[in-house]
Amino acid sequence: MDKGLLAYLLIPLLSAVIIPFAARNRPRLADILANVTLLAGLVNIAWMVLRPSVVADGFADIPGDMLFPLLLVGAIYLVALCVTFFSAWFMEEGQPNRAAYYSLILASVSAMTGVVTTTDFFTLYVFIEVLAVTSFALITTDDSRGGIEGALKYFFLTFPASALIIAGISILLIVLGDLQFETLRIFMASDVPPGPAVFAAALIMLGFLIKAGVVPFHAWTPDAYQGAYAPVSAHLAGIVTKISGVYAIVKLGTLLRFFDGRASALSEMVMFLGLLSIAVGALAALRQKDFKRMLAFSSISQVGYIVLAAGLGTPLAVIGAVFHLFNHATFKTVLFLNSASVEKSAGTTDMEKLGGLEHSMPWTSWTSVIALLSTAGVPPLSGFWSKLLIILALWEAGLRGYAGLALLFSIVTLAYFMVMQRKIFFGRKSQAAESAPEVSAPLLAPAVLMSAVIVALGLLFPYFYTYVKMVAERIIL
Amino acid sequence: MNLILIPIVLPIAAALALLLICEKTKYIKELLAAGAAIVSLLAAANIFLQPPADLTLRWFGSAAFTLHADNLSAFLLLAVSLFSAAISVYSFSNPAKGPAKWFFFNLLMTQGFAAGAALADNMVAMLFFWEGLLVFLYTFIALSQNNHAARRTAMKAFLINGVTDLCLLVGITITAYIAGTASMSEIARNKLTLEYGWAVFAYVLLMIGAVSKAGAFPFHTWIPDAATDSSATFMAYVPAAIDKLLGIYFLARASVYLFALNQTMSLVLMTLGAVTILVAVMMAFVQKDYKRLLSYHAVSQTGYMILGIGTLNPIGIAGGLFHMINHATYKSCLFMTSGAVERQAGTTDLSKLGGLFRAMPVTGLCFVIAAAAISGIAPLNGFFSKELVYKGALDTGYTVFFIAAEIGSFLTLASFLKLGHSVYFGDRPENLKETKEAPFSMLLPMLTLAGICLAFGFGAELPLNWLIVPSLAGMSIPNPTMSGFHLDKLYFVSVIVILAAVINHLIGLAAGGGKADKASDHIHYAPVLKETYALAERRAFDIYELGMDKAVPFVSRLLFKADRFFDWAIDALPSGVAGFLGGSVNRFHNGSYPLYMALTLIGAVVYILLAGGLK
Repeated sequence: MDKGLLAYLLIPLLSAVIIPFAARNRPRLADILANVTLLAGLVNIAWMVLRPSVVADGFADIPGDMLFPLLLVGAIYLVALCVTFFSAWFMEEGQPNRAAYYSLILASVSAMTGVVTTTDFFTLYVFIEVLAVTSFALITTDDSRGGIEGALKYFFLTFPASALIIAGISILLIVLGDLQFETLRIFMASDVPPGPAVFAAALIMLGFLIKAGVVPFHAWTPDAYQGAYAPVSAHLAGIVTKISGVYAIVKLGTLLRFFDGRASALSEMVMFLGLLSIAVGALAALRQKDFKRMLAFSSISQVGYIVLAAGLGTPLAVIGAVFHLFNHATFKTVLFLNSASVEKSAGTTDMEKLGGLEHSMPWTSWTSVIALLSTAGVPPLSGFWSKLLIILALWEAGLRGYAGLALLFSIVTLAYFMVMQRKIFFGRKSQAAESAPEVSAPLLAPAVLMSAVIVALGLLFPYFYTYVKMVAERIIL
Repeated sequence: MNLILIPIVLPIAAALALLLICEKTKYIKELLAAGAAIVSLLAAANIFLQPPADLTLRWFGSAAFTLHADNLSAFLLLAVSLFSAAISVYSFSNPAKGPAKWFFFNLLMTQGFAAGAALADNMVAMLFFWEGLLVFLYTFIALSQNNHAARRTAMKAFLINGVTDLCLLVGITITAYIAGTASMSEIARNKLTLEYGWAVFAYVLLMIGAVSKAGAFPFHTWIPDAATDSSATFMAYVPAAIDKLLGIYFLARASVYLFALNQTMSLVLMTLGAVTILVAVMMAFVQKDYKRLLSYHAVSQTGYMILGIGTLNPIGIAGGLFHMINHATYKSCLFMTSGAVERQAGTTDLSKLGGLFRAMPVTGLCFVIAAAAISGIAPLNGFFSKELVYKGALDTGYTVFFIAAEIGSFLTLASFLKLGHSVYFGDRPENLKETKEAPFSMLLPMLTLAGICLAFGFGAELPLNWLIVPSLAGMSIPNPTMSGFHLDKLYFVSVIVILAAVINHLIGLAAGGGKADKASDHIHYAPVLKETYALAERRAFDIYELGMDKAVPFVSRLLFKADRFFDWAIDALPSGVAGFLGGSVNRFHNGSYPLYMALTLIGAVVYILLAGGLK
């Protein structure tokens, strides 16, 4: 555990504990406390990382092992802040357990911070489990039937993951005698035959693949995302599953030194699963009739890109993976929050019943366009650069077929999002859209903020690239 | 600023300024256009008298775009500016020119670009101006009348010239590649020869571009259509003057200045000239419309110029160039008379006109002078230039071309006898009793041009010594011995031709029942010719119409099929495949927990087995 970042873990946890008591009689206080906690954290991170003097020095002041966690903690706080801010206006007055909802969100933020700052496998496991429990509880927030079903599927389909992870950790402990990340890294760099350690890592990796919702372990994602309470979908898809699954895969990939071929069988398998996810997710998304379900499949497809790059493991690929992880958090949050807006305004997310919403909901429509173009990798938005890095890394490594298919499915991505945009926002107004006003400004603010981040990251990519490159170099070497 | 820029920049600037002027203002547009044209004419005259230094613009360090006024270019520039000035004065009070703003815009743009094409030394720069003319050719015709026929003819003119300009582009590219430079004066220092295939190909392409601009057979078919669908002013300016000047100018440049031609190519050119003369004059002879008849002559006369240049001997080339400027003068004048008659009498249909000489004496006089000039009656300018062409043709030893040219002369005179007789002489129809003379602004340019016809005729030494001989000298052709009017065999031949034409006219009158407009019917409806004419009237010999009827639909169908295939390949096929795969994947996600669980477990088992080393 990196002690320098402990505050980011403890403060939300403290808030999570305080909220139920403080907000017992004044439910609005829960909104304020949650938002203030997250905003304070975000401002703090921004001050630490983006201070002009720090940027000018090329981040030399920041300790090497803190850069990557800081980036991710920033993403976590950003997404969570968007979600809580959105929720504060989205929740109906009579919604039960407002306090519990925010407590759970803050607890999950705390757990995610733990996941990204930890330096040993057991702590990682503990936080992953905390995250799983909070996610399970969050999915059922609105007590709907779909929410319960989604939560149960999430729980029952991912519990093997926990078993596999703990089994893997046990074997690792036997082989290495230690659960520190550093130990595994040093072991992989040595000349000792890596067999049992890699097998143990493979089991852990499998657990994370299940948690990340990689095909063929993805079956829980669409139901969970579709059934979950609307802002929770954004929280889950935007950051929770990415941290509890994808982050760990990237981290494990770097620890196993995929790039020097010591665990090539595992590396190939991870890459294959990544590509499979890209393909299956994109193809399934093409034929979806529900906005949120389509976004869930899109999420599977995008996770595929990150896993593919993590499986490759070269420095360029890891940069791409980290950047895509961050970008995915931005654009998927926008899209899920917009789906929540559409649901609130038009009363449905069934694409067959929607249409022509751009006239009444222009902001929602255009932030969706920005986010979907970024997802599909259209320049100059941020998603373009991360996909470009991933495809370039594949090409450089001689995996032309993978590169070509990754490119092809990014076109399919554009196709299904275009279908989505046309069915929901463009075209003739449907009956449901007739009485659908634009949602209020506070509900739009998170989507607009995230869209601005997408555009800004895309346009300022050369500056951002030096930062991400440094991150990738420091976690690999 | 270098003086050489004025004839190019001033008209274009004036044209753009015209667009700013409100359509409703009176005379401002006309004055601006005429002023710009006249100032350009003065500048051109200055350039002609005192050739200024070359103006060189470098591009990318190496390619130099030079404006260079050698004798031929300056001569051409002077002619272009003269006709622009004449037409802009003539258009002052001619209502049949279409919207005044666009008419003068097109006029000045054409003038500026024509001046650029005349002065450009670099072939690429020349091509730029040349292609610019194409654009304004289209807009000129399309905007001259607000109807479908005008736009259709504009498209026809555009496509024919566009295709041949493309030939010119390719020709220039190959020539520049072979020569290693696109500068004409540099190529001329070491002329290209037609010794190998690429050079022949390049020359033929350049020739196609040049003769099609001049309106020679078989690229002439848009000109008669434009005569009916456009205004007399346009006809007097572009097909009669500017196009001929530029086309023949570049033909001369290509044939004499850039390439050293051989005997075969000379024969090709002369044949082209002779065929153009005969085909077009045969068509002209039977026309029943003032402007249409003139337009076929505009084609026919091009044949003389091509024939003259094709002889490749100094006399013939001098004749070709002299005929070029003479033709522009009298044909412009003739079209102006047609415009005047159209304005005053309201029609150009020969059967409805007659006896207008009394009503419009000045117009009639100009017509008589110009018609005599085009028919080659001594001692007008047309006689001398045709004489030089004949002499050049005879010098090559191929008498057949001389005979063809004489037959052309015969039919030209015959058709002008018919035209003049039916418009200006004979009985005046009842509804034309009130017809008055055209306004002064139309008469002035006509009189000027008719005066030039007389001056270049009686004083033929003057233009020959001042314009033609220096031009030839500029292209390093030895000074030909050219004399003025003298009684030799050629003169007697011309007298015989005149007599034959008069006799033919009388026969025709007798056969046509004394009606002058039917004086050509005895040839029009003669056996064999009747059927041929009928086919020609149905445009059976018009390459453009044939192409549009047969080839274009076929090619479009083919392209349509190809397009459907590409549509299918890039649209229907991928979306079908993606839809099928998506559907299959989707059917699988049916929400069944046992299925999902089984999938997860099977996946996990396979993964563990593989990770455990099973291959």
